[in-house]
Amino acid sequence: MSAPAAPPPLSRAHSITGHLRAAGLFLVLMVLVAGFGYPLVVTGIADVLDPGAAHGSLIYGSNGTLVGSTLVAQNLSAPWLFWERPSPTDYNMTLGAPSPPGPSDPGLRALLNETIRYIQKYGLATVNVTVPFAWAAPSASSIDPDLAPQAVLVQVPRVAEARNLSIAVVTALVNNHIVNPWLPYVGVPYVDVLSLDLALIDQYGPR
Amino acid sequence: MIELQSLWDVIFLVALVVAIAPAFGAYLGRVYLDRPTFGDTVLGPIERGIYRLLGTSPRRSMTAREYMLAVLFVNVGVFAFLYVFFFFQNLLPYDATGAPGMSWDLALHSAASFTTNTDFTHFTNETQMSLGALFIAYPLALFVSAATGLSVAAAMIRGWVRRDGTIGNFYVDLVRTISRVLLPLATLFALVMVFEGVPQTFTNYVLAHPLTGGTQEIFLGPVASYQAISLLGTNGGGFYSANMASPIANPSALSNLFGVFAMMLIPFSTPFAFGQIIRKRGEAWPFMGTILIVFAIALGLFIAYQAATNPALAGIVGLGPQAAGYPVGQETRFSLPESALFQVVSVYDNVGANNMQIGAISPVAQLVLLFGMFTQSTPGGDGTGFGVLLLFAVLGVFVGGLMVGRTPEYLGKKITTGHVRWAALALLVHPAVILIPFVVAVAGGFVSTAAATLPGSAHTFSSVLYEFTSESANNGSALSAGSFNDTTVFFNVAGAVVMLVGRFVPIWAMLAVGGMFSGQEVLPPGPGTLQTASTTFTIYITLFLIIVSVLLFLPVIALGPLAQIVGGP
Repeated sequence: MSAPAAPPPLSRAHSITGHLRAAGLFLVLMVLVAGFGYPLVVTGIADVLDPGAAHGSLIYGSNGTLVGSTLVAQNLSAPWLFWERPSPTDYNMTLGAPSPPGPSDPGLRALLNETIRYIQKYGLATVNVTVPFAWAAPSASSIDPDLAPQAVLVQVPRVAEARNLSIAVVTALVNNHIVNPWLPYVGVPYVDVLSLDLALIDQYGPR
Repeated sequence: MIELQSLWDVIFLVALVVAIAPAFGAYLGRVYLDRPTFGDTVLGPIERGIYRLLGTSPRRSMTAREYMLAVLFVNVGVFAFLYVFFFFQNLLPYDATGAPGMSWDLALHSAASFTTNTDFTHFTNETQMSLGALFIAYPLALFVSAATGLSVAAAMIRGWVRRDGTIGNFYVDLVRTISRVLLPLATLFALVMVFEGVPQTFTNYVLAHPLTGGTQEIFLGPVASYQAISLLGTNGGGFYSANMASPIANPSALSNLFGVFAMMLIPFSTPFAFGQIIRKRGEAWPFMGTILIVFAIALGLFIAYQAATNPALAGIVGLGPQAAGYPVGQETRFSLPESALFQVVSVYDNVGANNMQIGAISPVAQLVLLFGMFTQSTPGGDGTGFGVLLLFAVLGVFVGGLMVGRTPEYLGKKITTGHVRWAALALLVHPAVILIPFVVAVAGGFVSTAAATLPGSAHTFSSVLYEFTSESANNGSALSAGSFNDTTVFFNVAGAVVMLVGRFVPIWAMLAVGGMFSGQEVLPPGPGTLQTASTTFTIYITLFLIIVSVLLFLPVIALGPLAQIVGGP
């Protein structure tokens, strides 16, 4: 009852050389199929279907230079630009993603304090504004390119002041750049800061 | 606190997986029954050609001993290939990264890590891994280790329906797993990831010129194809060292949910493959029930404790309320429940990919993750997780049979001392290879903490415990990269041994138990037969698994995570 309608099994076991041959040839085959074939096929199809994404979502400035990738944060800490989340590696991908201090480690409190003082001094128009938790908290990747809308809006007075623009104009630009989830319950609203800054430069000049 | 509405996509995704698991599990079962499946007209002749090339045939069914030998031949081959590749990677002809060859102990750890489906890395991909390794050596290991796990589980299950002492042909199982499950699904999933924005290119890196001056190296590569098999095969290695937290590997909430689906699909379907192979579909539900109960409790606890505010951060001047933002070490584009879902699924499936910094999560959430690796079977990695669950069931039926004075038999096969001995060995080797090296590391002074963390804190203690637990469970996640230096010769060599023993001893036990069952006659069900497709059995196995796991690890969790929960540093 157990065996399907097939010829009876051969009782002969593989010899040691038989195993060596089977395992060895299998691995050679897998190097060809998994190591070369699989990534090549996926790359070939991806290149046709969505070349922009396949090449790293790269973004170019008006003069054609490669500014960066919309998926990788970069240092934008200038008064006339919107900032991203702070990075312990200064957005350097070669340094990986170091872990923040543990939840009950006093170092975490010290790190947040330091970040808040810095942001209040250089990132906000007035010192007494509260820094949103979403801005000050360390990210997971150290290159998180997105920021919660309330953390972007709190920067508006500083950017408006640096550029001599009205707060209403800058606020409108930020509101246009809030990415809402395409389904109500998938993801959260956020702002892709590099795209916002490029739009700012595009419309109102480099600084 | 979080709004309840943000839980909807999490609930929907878990429900979706549970809904399609019976159908996909039945498909998996047909793959291992050597039955026709879709694509037979194309794949059939190719597979028969490969069998001829390898000098084998589906009709040459192996005993447990021969099956184990075949597993060792293939996996030792992968190990040796990776070791040589990593050691000499600086000599590869077309490599542009300039990564140096690995030291002997780092190559040992890395080769063991990728062979055993662990993918625990003691190096930074971006600077210490050559392009050649990323292209050729990794995918080989990712596919073969996942296929090995699934083949072993299938072979063990065959023991219940055979009477000739054999459990199938390993080479045939490997080929069919790859041609009919892993390769088609991985290709499809990789393309979905590209649509979500993940790069797939042979360019190594590009040099960008950021808006505030200077330059920035942006690393690229075949990320989509790599991450696809890494998640699907429950390997968990990341193309980037930030793993699936990296915005370039996991760009959106939707790609995150696709990743969760890829990780859940095979482990959550394997119980139904079991039901299909033994031709009693109802017998899958007690295992699915056990998995879902433990998983749901874990996910609920994780979300609840992550949503709570951290008392250690109360009263910082100038900081907005914690509830308005995101927990520390989490990415902006995922909601809290979505991050939590990915992380819990990843650890409970023994994938080990991260989409957050788990060193920064609440101590209760850390304990939740550790518990998933203690059981390593709810649902555990591809194949091996379910194999461990079956060993728990064999032991549970034996103990339960003794308690009520019934003949211990499971699905028509009598459970003897031999089966119990193997099952106990597999379940005891797990705590042994966690706790012994852990004690040696802590007592022997091998843990040197980095300046940023407290020396000898409960957090460092948890990190060392987590390291060996992750290695023995073949998980691959690390609690807190940098909280202590784990790139020493001691941690490389000890880790390699832990991963190899934690992988191949349970596999040996699974095959041995399957082989013994295969040699036995089927007992007809009598009035004294235990009804295993029942709610009672589901609850019994769930409690058995939880109690055994807690008893094995309670003393050590009291010193690390529990100490942190009650307020230690």
